[in-house]
Amino acid sequence: MAEYSRMASGKVTSTGGQTAVVLPFIPDFIEISNQTRAVAASGVTRAWWETDMGQGAAFLTTTSAGPADGTSFITTATGTGFSTIQAGLSLQYGPTFLLGGAGGIAKTSATLLTVTTTANHGLTTGNWVTFSNLYQTSTTGMQQIAGIPFMVTVTGATTFTIDWVGNGSNLTAITTGGLNTLASFKKILYPVLYAPGVAFPWKIDVGTTTTIHCTAPHNYRVGQEVGFRIPSAYGMTQINELPNVTIPGSPKYYYVTSVTDSKTFVINCDSSAFTAFSVNNTFLSFPGLQFAQVVAVGDVNTGGYPYAGAALYPSPTVFNGFTASTSTGVSTINGPAIQGAYYNATFQGFIIGSGVSGTAEDVIYWRAYMHDINYI
Amino acid sequence: MRQAEDLILRDYIVSAASQIMAGGGSNADNPTNLGISDFSLVATTLDTNNAYKFMSGIEGMDRFGTGPVRSAYFMLSSTELQSDFDGLVGQGFLSQWNYPTNASALPSEYGSVFNTRILTSSEAPVARGASANGNDVYYNTVLGKQAITHINQDGFSMNLIYRDPYYSGMLAQNATLAVKFAQSQALTQDTAIRNLLCTRIANLTI
Repeated sequence: MAEYSRMASGKVTSTGGQTAVVLPFIPDFIEISNQTRAVAASGVTRAWWETDMGQGAAFLTTTSAGPADGTSFITTATGTGFSTIQAGLSLQYGPTFLLGGAGGIAKTSATLLTVTTTANHGLTTGNWVTFSNLYQTSTTGMQQIAGIPFMVTVTGATTFTIDWVGNGSNLTAITTGGLNTLASFKKILYPVLYAPGVAFPWKIDVGTTTTIHCTAPHNYRVGQEVGFRIPSAYGMTQINELPNVTIPGSPKYYYVTSVTDSKTFVINCDSSAFTAFSVNNTFLSFPGLQFAQVVAVGDVNTGGYPYAGAALYPSPTVFNGFTASTSTGVSTINGPAIQGAYYNATFQGFIIGSGVSGTAEDVIYWRAYMHDINYI
Repeated sequence: MRQAEDLILRDYIVSAASQIMAGGGSNADNPTNLGISDFSLVATTLDTNNAYKFMSGIEGMDRFGTGPVRSAYFMLSSTELQSDFDGLVGQGFLSQWNYPTNASALPSEYGSVFNTRILTSSEAPVARGASANGNDVYYNTVLGKQAITHINQDGFSMNLIYRDPYYSGMLAQNATLAVKFAQSQALTQDTAIRNLLCTRIANLTI
């Protein structure tokens, strides 16, 4: 007798790594079919999971050219199969990941830092991380960026990049032979449960309009009203809510006029005469270092989220650490909402792990069930 | 079941309100442990932003071991910070027990520092191992009266729903027990609220 069961189906585009599916329940059976892999006759075409297998496990069917199909099983120890997820509490982190003896952070360019790990980092593009213990020596390193949330762009199994002024003169690269073995990062598991929130600028382009570059997705919308808290050490205090150079804060707001991508937006602020924005803080200033911040404070009513061919009144979308895209966010399971208004982006559902998710842009059809009773 | 409401509002504030990193402590982390100057900074910031204080002061009385309490904002903190607050005795921290009268003290009130009265809870937000030196980061929400609001939509707050088996299924096999609430939270004035982030003085790693 089915009294409490839930069933859902849908389609998702693979990220090539961990791919999230948001549901209004936690399934105990998951099944996927990968159309792209079937056409290519290469890789995992079908996979399924039952809760008694344990988190991270999966049965899977692979194919290659011809009829040489095979089956396999991913154990929970390997952990690259399916897992369920319940993202309801903020400030949850993954384990501390030490960069290791061969690890470090290179000063790649004026816009990038490149992180290298000794072991495979296991991240996918779009994940958020925060760093700790970025010492090269006891008095040099990159502690100035420790504690700031960053969205990563994965460039290899042991490398990823983050957006920052990587050639800053006060940053010292983390390299082998120093204190690099203590350097670490943590994955922020659910970085955006309520949006839009606080974002951290690392670069501000001045002009008749002003472009803000953030370290991680801001989740702002056109029409969003934002306020700035730029500490004096960062220069551009004129953009702050109050003309007070020592204590940021007070009501002088700007509107978002365009959203370039998930980490970049433009405001209606003529900053031509403002002091340049700089994140080049000295290493020894890091204890108690304030971060530059921008916060959402309101919006002009820009209406609901636009019809895109599916739901007539679509749910809000959010860049929540589970999408590699910087242009299309993950749909939440909420009802319709006004763009720019705060919304609840907590979620539950399941993760299609890297062992069964195929390659990026694969089309995956899924079904998920929650049964009434499970007999063991 | 009220705990669910608290956690939702807590997480909302953590995500939406801006931060001040404590820098007045001595543990050379970012943020540092709480120093007296951090309380001054956050109260000055809120004063400058014309936030309304929650409580008027308590006038001094002729009682041994007590002292007057300033008009104050509330700071919502973790119980894990109580030992750090005790370490500030003599520097500006006044235990709730040392107020001239406890008439206006709340049950969860631990004490006050300058223009801040501290309420502690085991459910206060903590980011484990997230500081620059890998220590726990505590979010202390300091707020003025006009900072946040809480709306019960359609007139109902929290409902505890129980339906006996007869009404819960066709075969009357199982009962239903659930909690339902339709609420929303909002920052009404973001300049009147700050998350003062800090670490503890005692859990240094470097």
